[in-house]
Amino acid sequence: MYQFFKTLDRRWVFLLMALAVGIPILMQLQFPEKPTGLAVVVFEEVERLNEGDKVLMAFDYDPSGEGELGPMATSFVRHCCEKRLKMYFTTLWPAGPQMIQDSINRVIRADFPGLVYGVDYVDLGYKSGEEGVIKVIVTNLRQLYTTDARGTNIDQIPMCLDVDNVQDMDLIVNVSAGYPGTKEWVQYASTPYPDDIRIVAGCTGVQAPLFYPYVPQQLPGMLAAIKGAAEYEELVVNKYAPDGPDPKYLEAKRRMGPQLVAHLLMIALIIGGNTIYFIERRRGGVSA
Amino acid sequence: MKRTVPLLITTISGFLLIAAAFIPATESWGEVVTVWFDILAAIAFILGGGNLMKVNLKKISDRVPGWGYAAVTLIAFLLTLAAGLGKIGSPPASDQEFYGETFASLPAAAFPESQVTRIAGEIPEKEEAQLPDSVRRQMSQEQGEIVFRGWILPNQIEDLKSFKQTLEWQCTVENLAEAAQPPESLRGKAFYYSDHSALSFRGVMDEASRTELAAMSDDTRWQQAVDSIYEASQKTTTIDVDAVPTGFAVPASLADVVSYSVSPQQLSMAGPMSRSQRDALINVFPPLRPASEAEIQQFIDELNGLGEPLTEEQQQVVERNLRGGWTAEELITVLDGAGQAQPVAKTACEMLAEKEQGVTEIDPFHPPGDDVELTNSQQAAIGQFANDESITVADLVDQLQAETFTGAQAGAMAAFFAASPTAGGRGKTIFQDLLKLPGTNLSTGQRDWLLADFRSEFEWKKSVYQLFTAAHTPKYTWSGPYQSGGNLFWWLYEYAFKPLTATMFAMLAFYVASAAFRAFRAKNLEAILLLGTAFIILLGRTYIGVAMTAWIPDALKAFRIDELTIYIMSIFVTTGNRAIMIGVALGIASVSLKVLLGIDRSYLGSRED
Repeated sequence: MYQFFKTLDRRWVFLLMALAVGIPILMQLQFPEKPTGLAVVVFEEVERLNEGDKVLMAFDYDPSGEGELGPMATSFVRHCCEKRLKMYFTTLWPAGPQMIQDSINRVIRADFPGLVYGVDYVDLGYKSGEEGVIKVIVTNLRQLYTTDARGTNIDQIPMCLDVDNVQDMDLIVNVSAGYPGTKEWVQYASTPYPDDIRIVAGCTGVQAPLFYPYVPQQLPGMLAAIKGAAEYEELVVNKYAPDGPDPKYLEAKRRMGPQLVAHLLMIALIIGGNTIYFIERRRGGVSA
Repeated sequence: MKRTVPLLITTISGFLLIAAAFIPATESWGEVVTVWFDILAAIAFILGGGNLMKVNLKKISDRVPGWGYAAVTLIAFLLTLAAGLGKIGSPPASDQEFYGETFASLPAAAFPESQVTRIAGEIPEKEEAQLPDSVRRQMSQEQGEIVFRGWILPNQIEDLKSFKQTLEWQCTVENLAEAAQPPESLRGKAFYYSDHSALSFRGVMDEASRTELAAMSDDTRWQQAVDSIYEASQKTTTIDVDAVPTGFAVPASLADVVSYSVSPQQLSMAGPMSRSQRDALINVFPPLRPASEAEIQQFIDELNGLGEPLTEEQQQVVERNLRGGWTAEELITVLDGAGQAQPVAKTACEMLAEKEQGVTEIDPFHPPGDDVELTNSQQAAIGQFANDESITVADLVDQLQAETFTGAQAGAMAAFFAASPTAGGRGKTIFQDLLKLPGTNLSTGQRDWLLADFRSEFEWKKSVYQLFTAAHTPKYTWSGPYQSGGNLFWWLYEYAFKPLTATMFAMLAFYVASAAFRAFRAKNLEAILLLGTAFIILLGRTYIGVAMTAWIPDALKAFRIDELTIYIMSIFVTTGNRAIMIGVALGIASVSLKVLLGIDRSYLGSRED
């Protein structure tokens, strides 16, 4: 037995991980979520806005981050729709436009057909230049965004007429999978203009530790990975669809099931690996 | 020189950005530099593409191990590039197309002299402003007259009106708008788009219109344009249709251009189809009349007969939807509301005349006329229509128009019926509302029966759109978005790029698991601390962490795993990261200064380059 585990083929580990993720998905395993402080702050930042307030929805991610970030983007859009906020979608990632379109189709077109493009929401599309774009639009949006993603002149879009720069936004909602993303929005938008620009963010798990130093002064609230998304989802659903929402609004919670089992497997693997290590050390196989 | 110029650009740009950050007056300098940076970032994509080609072509050429992967990369790159740039399969942008019109190229200079309008007046001179772009090619000032070459369009009238806000100019524009029109018989049919240098004709050009247009000028270009439009507009488009609505008849307004044959089942359109014609053809399904108690019961009985009987709650949903249609009283209220007289705006020329007569306070509106309310016989006709399915909307309109019935009322009635549900829409709503109830389990028969009308309406709509698209000749075939749903780029994105990138990210879980088993060892104190922290975070980020330590009393809740996770992240992680970030920031400042001052030139490449 010891010999088997000592020379365990990595494919067994891969198989265990596949089962740990696959079985909970098939069994629709779900657990309750208790929102923590950061998720509550994010929720309250959106909640404090009034109907017609402007929100910049900066969706800086692509399909590789969709698993973690898609559900929180869905919840953000749903929350803004419920509050009847004006949404300005933009992305600094080349594959981001499709993520914006997915969110618009999934939430606005499906469940809020009364919202009008150009009046209630607008897709400003992708711009190359990473943090350079942020640096320009915080003082002059029209320098870079002369049209929306459809090619319509920005001066012909009613909801853009009274927007000169990002400082005119009441909140920035950033969904970030890496560079450029939350760090750049914090450094080049909210930090230089602390009185005019407020930002909340949702990010992948690997990025979260890097953003904690910005909380709470420069970044009041943050949703870290699928756990943060599930907590925020819980808050939005409890407030706006307590009688049972469409399953797409509980996607993060559904994904927490596989995460729980996968984390348990990781712990078991670490313990198993260390057990073999100590047995081997006792037998004099390895040195400390 | 090769190194000095880039160095100078870097230094100047860098110091400008530093100045812009600290001196508000130089903010716009920073914007200019950053915009240039953004432009260069976009150009970098082209360089990146070129580099990708070069590197992979070399690998393939040298047959290095794994050159097959390089070939796959290259093919995928070129395919995506061609699909995106070529917009393969993208329909033209609907907002840039002129549906229902046929075009022929015609420069403004070839427009017939007989159609050049001259009116008395002067184009106002405005500081720092020229005439609006839309009219600049056609409008000029000649010998005290305003000359307009071609026929004026509604958007041009609006542009000219907003050019100067004086009554005199507004009146001149009104006179010009009245004069610069095609002959009466061609109004609303023939147009000239100077922006597009094109002559256009709406619908099918008949022989009389062709003769009248051709007689306007002997210019060969004009004659060719008229002939070209005539021939193109004669095109008849025919499509096969699987099913037509029950009792379908071509709407009277389309009888001249749309025809339907029963065998084979085909729908034909003469000439191009406009949006309003398309909508008229789609909306052939009658609006639902209010359901009676007997009809509601029959509906429920029929639904019960196809599967499990409805529960009381489900029946309430069905009844609510069936009763939720319009009523005769609602329609009468809407039409009476639309009949209320509205003040009519005066023209600029009318107001100018009043001004010249010495009126000081000019009212911009004519006094409203009398309200028009439906008579008893009109109300009775509506009541009868609500209860008799054999009466069509067209019959009702005829009955109402026998007495006073304004255009506003006719428009309000059309809007009212357009917003009323059809049988398909109601069936779909009932179906969706039933599914929202917990525990609803409709049989296949019940689902099909509820959705039957909706499906046939959808199929019909699809056929009409197919005819609409087939009858249209795109003016700007390349104007559609590159990522239109269903085109090649979209397909590559949805079915290749999206799953592949998601898979790459998901594979991390497998490698991390393998690494955890093999490499995460408690070899020393630091490793043990790291392991302990990892356990807490792994448990704390899931429900298991909460459940495992929920028993700990509130007084000691700081020891619960979820609380410990927050503590670690907000104290230890934040502290460590802040220290690293401050160090990195100082390092960046130091290196940046070296670069800006030209001390560090390594980014310029080696001296041998």
